[in-house]
Amino acid sequence: MSRSRPFISIGVLVLAASAVAWGQSPPAAPAADAGSPGQKLYARHCLSCHQADGYGVPNMQPAIKGGTWVRGEAKPLALFVMTGGFDSAQRKEGATAHNVMPPFRQLSDEDLAGILTYIRQKFGDGASEVTPALVAEARATLPAQ
Amino acid sequence: MRATRFAKVVRSTLAVPLLLATSMGNPAMAAGTDGLTLPEGFSATVVQEGQGTGRHLAVAANGDIYLASRNGLVAMRDKDGDGKADETMKFGDVQGTEVRLFKNWLYVSDNVGVYRYRLKKGELAPTGPREVVVDGFPMERQHADKTFALDPKGTVYVNVGAPSNSCQQNDRQEGSLGQNPCPILEKYGGVWVFPANQVNQKATDGRRFATGMRNAVAIEWNAAQKALYAVIHGRDSIDTLFPTLYNAEDNATRQGEEFHRITDGGDYGWPYTFWDTRLGKRVLAPEYGGDGKKEPEAGKYPAPLVAYPAHWAPNDLLFYAGKNFPAKYQGGAFIAFHGSWNRAPEPQAGYKVVFQPMKNGKPTGPYEVFADGFAGEMADNNPRNARYRPVGLAVGPDGSLYVSDSQKGRVWRIRHGGM
Repeated sequence: MSRSRPFISIGVLVLAASAVAWGQSPPAAPAADAGSPGQKLYARHCLSCHQADGYGVPNMQPAIKGGTWVRGEAKPLALFVMTGGFDSAQRKEGATAHNVMPPFRQLSDEDLAGILTYIRQKFGDGASEVTPALVAEARATLPAQ
Repeated sequence: MRATRFAKVVRSTLAVPLLLATSMGNPAMAAGTDGLTLPEGFSATVVQEGQGTGRHLAVAANGDIYLASRNGLVAMRDKDGDGKADETMKFGDVQGTEVRLFKNWLYVSDNVGVYRYRLKKGELAPTGPREVVVDGFPMERQHADKTFALDPKGTVYVNVGAPSNSCQQNDRQEGSLGQNPCPILEKYGGVWVFPANQVNQKATDGRRFATGMRNAVAIEWNAAQKALYAVIHGRDSIDTLFPTLYNAEDNATRQGEEFHRITDGGDYGWPYTFWDTRLGKRVLAPEYGGDGKKEPEAGKYPAPLVAYPAHWAPNDLLFYAGKNFPAKYQGGAFIAFHGSWNRAPEPQAGYKVVFQPMKNGKPTGPYEVFADGFAGEMADNNPRNARYRPVGLAVGPDGSLYVSDSQKGRVWRIRHGGM
């Protein structure tokens, strides 16, 4: 069982302060140069979870590449990205993913349109462009915040 | 439900050729390493693979190997001592992460409970019923693995990971502030203790031993120090959640994976703080008033013994006291790092077993990479393309180190000296 004497003594603190300096960090490579505004926004908001190749991370975040959502109708896709969550009614991919999708309603119509167009073209078999007007139309159906 | 209903003997047909000495200038390769890089004088043998998503493993005094996996429990026996499993049995009905031997029992866990099977002499896979030690942990999806450690007096220390990144009001949502106090800590984000020899306990019967731990998958009792230690998964996404304070490079490098001695009543600072490896100090989390450098009240949370690079994902911890490895390894710690996903778009990292030199339970120098080369090329910087990902560690009766993998369910035996 645990020891009764206090964990932190001055000696331990000194040792710990020096020991943590050994936590070497690997060198960081420069961030990948992104192309289109949509690609840059994907890198900024989506990439760390869904990854650059759109395949997500097994067990953690679902693949969007090749999924029915990303290449399906644009309006439900826009609604899902704005609301997030595990349990969007028709959502199938990612049912076993550990992490919850956060909502991205805070992004502008233009930014969301850029992201959605990028992922549809890159990961959704070249599905159609999404306009800011369509995002605005979808947004208008959401309950007020 | 009896385990025997599911028992199935599978004769090993393992035919994995070892990579032999084709690599010039690497003496370790010459001894047979299965493509891993190891310090000079060490070799690796593939015990078995194809056992699903491997997690932790344990080796009994007779050399029998028990692997927990997402696909169920697996028992392996090497009859001729060549390191390769000659007999493999699947058993039980538990899919999870932890497996530990304690007296004549095999303790295992899934996401909601800890269970045990009695091991009878000569029996490779247990045939008796599964007993519930404790169950009723809430079903969660995030950080749900109930890894645990056991002390010699018969206490189970269960890691109850927090189903959250940083206890934001809205989990993983940009700019969302932290709940204060964080209500998640009432049931999660710490270690709960239970007597190992009582059955049918409920999660609510446990006593909270330590708190402020986001997810201490790598948790281990240090017999020589008579103390609990853990390496904790640090938080994600400081850049996407607080882009005015941190960029992608910050996120990829700053939140240390903290190695602590865990004391009764200890608080290790999650979600209010994290250990910033660049600054070399603990800082307030941005959800809790952090500005990239503001520190918490002095002395409120301990500094880690060591902090490892961000997102490496420490998934198992082992203090070496075996006979096979050279003297420098005695009393030191091996840590299996599963490897990152949240470093993207920066290059992923981790995917290795490191050795932490220690004496009297305290680090004596920087960590050393012990086993590397698991991930391979890892196309597209995506963890799904890793060849292997180390996840579990155990020591055999002869002092061999066993390592498990979650990509192909491969298990290696690593030895020093002759095969």
